[in-house]
Amino acid sequence: MGRMTLMVVTLSAGLLMAGLWIPLKAVVAQELLTLAWARTQAEQRQTPPWPWADTWPVARLQLPGRSPALVVLSGGHGQSLAFGPGQVNGPEPGGKPATPVIIAGHRDTHFRSLKHIQSDDELRLQFSDGIWRRYRVASVRIVDSRQEQIDLSRYDQNSLVLVTCYPFDSLDAGGPLRFVVEAARDFPLAVSEGA
Amino acid sequence: MLPVQPLPIYRDRNRARGLTRRQLRWMENISLWLAVMLLLLVQPLFADASEHQVAYGSGQFHFVAEGHRQPAPVLTTDYQLTVTGLIAETRLQQRFGNDSDQWQEGVYTFPLPDNATVHAMILRAGEREIIGEIREREQARLEYETARQEGRQAARVEQQRPNLFTTRLANIPPGEAVTVELHFQQPVAYDSGEFSLRLPATLTPRYIPGVPQTAAQTEWTGGWATATVDVPDAHQITPPQVELHEVAEGSHNMTIVVELRAGIPVAQVASASHQITEVRDGGSIRITPAAGALPMDRDFRLSWQPLRGQEPAAAVFHEQWQGEDYVLAMLVPGESGREALTRELVLVIDTSGSMSGESIRQAREALLGALDTLSPEDSFNIIQFNSDTRQLFPESVTATADNLARARNYVSQLDARGGTEMAPAIRAALATEQTEIGRDLRQVVFVTDGAVGNEQALFDQIQQDLGNSRLFTVAIGSAPNMHFMRQAARYGRGTYTTIGNLSEVGQQLAALFHKMQSPALTDIQVTWPDGFDAESQVPERVGDLYLGEPLMLVARGSTPQGELKVEGRLSGEQIWQRTLTLDQAAPGSGIHRLWARGQVDNVLDQRLSGLPEESVREQVLSLGLAHGLVTPFTSFVAIDTTPVRAKDEALARSAVPSLMPAGSERQRISYPQTATPAPLLMLTGSLGLALAAVLTLFRRFRRA
Repeated sequence: MGRMTLMVVTLSAGLLMAGLWIPLKAVVAQELLTLAWARTQAEQRQTPPWPWADTWPVARLQLPGRSPALVVLSGGHGQSLAFGPGQVNGPEPGGKPATPVIIAGHRDTHFRSLKHIQSDDELRLQFSDGIWRRYRVASVRIVDSRQEQIDLSRYDQNSLVLVTCYPFDSLDAGGPLRFVVEAARDFPLAVSEGA
Repeated sequence: MLPVQPLPIYRDRNRARGLTRRQLRWMENISLWLAVMLLLLVQPLFADASEHQVAYGSGQFHFVAEGHRQPAPVLTTDYQLTVTGLIAETRLQQRFGNDSDQWQEGVYTFPLPDNATVHAMILRAGEREIIGEIREREQARLEYETARQEGRQAARVEQQRPNLFTTRLANIPPGEAVTVELHFQQPVAYDSGEFSLRLPATLTPRYIPGVPQTAAQTEWTGGWATATVDVPDAHQITPPQVELHEVAEGSHNMTIVVELRAGIPVAQVASASHQITEVRDGGSIRITPAAGALPMDRDFRLSWQPLRGQEPAAAVFHEQWQGEDYVLAMLVPGESGREALTRELVLVIDTSGSMSGESIRQAREALLGALDTLSPEDSFNIIQFNSDTRQLFPESVTATADNLARARNYVSQLDARGGTEMAPAIRAALATEQTEIGRDLRQVVFVTDGAVGNEQALFDQIQQDLGNSRLFTVAIGSAPNMHFMRQAARYGRGTYTTIGNLSEVGQQLAALFHKMQSPALTDIQVTWPDGFDAESQVPERVGDLYLGEPLMLVARGSTPQGELKVEGRLSGEQIWQRTLTLDQAAPGSGIHRLWARGQVDNVLDQRLSGLPEESVREQVLSLGLAHGLVTPFTSFVAIDTTPVRAKDEALARSAVPSLMPAGSERQRISYPQTATPAPLLMLTGSLGLALAAVLTLFRRFRRA
């Protein structure tokens, strides 16, 4: 009798721990990544945050709200998304954006706050050149990833696209819907003529 | 007293004990089952997560079809070519292996040579072999759909564009493979003493202009684009495209064997795309790629040269088919004395996203090479287009050293991104008010991969706007849209050339600009002997011939007798004349299909000059059915007689992707997986703990 209860307790506790570990990892990793990002900027080269990492910081992204800026990692694969938003498409290391910047993040961790994002909200993005670029949210849409792919030719080099899963409070981790935030570079008026 | 007090209660409990124990055992059972269910629930989650990592790591291609992730059929193809004289006959086998544990329907959109004619189809499943029959397109669709629903094996091949076809295969059993065999023929190209042919292996993703159409009920093809007003069949010409490492190992491989019976002594065989090995055996040469199986990410190109001095100047072939005689004649005008002509050169370069990577580097080299051919009397301009069209100079300028330096600088900074809005660029390049008086020739060179979906509208525009200009196309990349290149040059009264890699740029451009100096032969008149149907000659009207290009004619008539007369004007007003005796025609095969295909093209061309759609359809349909050819209105369908799939078994659908052309940069990215199992884990964990807590409390309550 006691064994049964113990089994249920252990199993459930294990699941809960595994569940809690994911957001915890996401938060702790961001701290480590901030250090790696500082080194990336100082040394101007790709610095993996820990020796066995197969990803490295490429940018910092400031979402609306008071939360600190997120360190964006290279690649949109599970390995990088577990620790930070991943840059699916963007500039070469050390370069300026020459193609649209596409960043994906987990809806349960880093991109949870996208739930409340609205048109005209401000986003800021910093690459290794250290310049903070301002973007304004132009549109928010929901797409079905079974029927659509990200079409890079739809966007220009002044675009920033954030992607996360939808709906935000779903339990299904493999759902087909995606929440797509499209933002355009917000040039200061004086500069926009020359840029 | 205190210890005594609880006793009655204890006894009360004791009285209820028998019942409670049973209840407890029952609850225990429930919790055990719950635990098992939890495990079952969570296990696929982890499996899913690890599978996803596999998809990124080692690269099994998973196509998301109707909500389930499943492996797409494994595709291998085999080309067996036999070249006899001027016609290449190909047996193409597409083998679809179903590695999943479900019945599958495979849809595969693939390219064929733009001048190819598909004339036979065979479906092979296990021991059975079903010969495909030609049907009206809609009829074929209905027959196929019925067979699919009834669980019978079926295959259908239809044409989306002259160089883009779709194979559908219904009811591929789990764990088995089905083969579709296609027979197609294509004329061999002959130019400047060199024969060549091209087998396209994949396509460059096409840009789809226009406003999206409201969702019409269309047949599923797995295409990524939605239909637009300009391209109503967009979903049918945009198959999913992936990188080589994303498909299952061994998938998307092609093997090629070419049996070359040139009919003349061959000096040299070469391929600009792959390493090849050749074995000579008497009059025939057997050619295979040195690497064996090739990844299908670039077109296979082959060329051969006759021995010096043995280049053909004329050739006639004859075939009798269903009581009618068909004749194929080839004539090569000689080189004429040329004088230097001044020209206005407009270079148009495609800087759309599909050109990014290796293609834009080739294109930049091509433009720099073109600038080098200008002499100080010439004038020029550069136009680039993607989503917008931009010009280097507001109008063409004289090729001074200063202007050329500006142009070279401009070219070196060209970068590829954005859409392919080609129509405004064509308008800008052909705008007649820009034509400068005082130049002999106005030449427009179009450097592009032709990755557009609205070809026909563009041809229409070229024909309308052309004026005195001549349009030349330069095909760039590993898998350009050759249909666009050839037809745009034809409507533009120019010629086309292809560049497959950086090392070819110089040589191919030199040849093109050499030709562009002036048409070698204009105002060509053809006179067939009596008994020939001169009206149905292919091509209907003979355009200008450029240096080194042969004149290829096909006609239908009575027994080949008499003389074929060809007359034209060389540059410098000289008259060129040649007669061919048809009596000595060599036997050929497949000429009637060449003729029929030419007729189909003629009829389709007449759409531009306002032939009503119903009339176009009727004529093409009867040609297709009579000669057994796939056309826009006829498809092949092969259907097995007995059902193999029981009605209650599900049929999954999957689109077989094409590979991205080698050297191109990805324009379309799949949405990444952006959710974690964290909420579910936490929820199930908490529920389990709550359940355990309730259990423990209950038990403690019972013991107390």
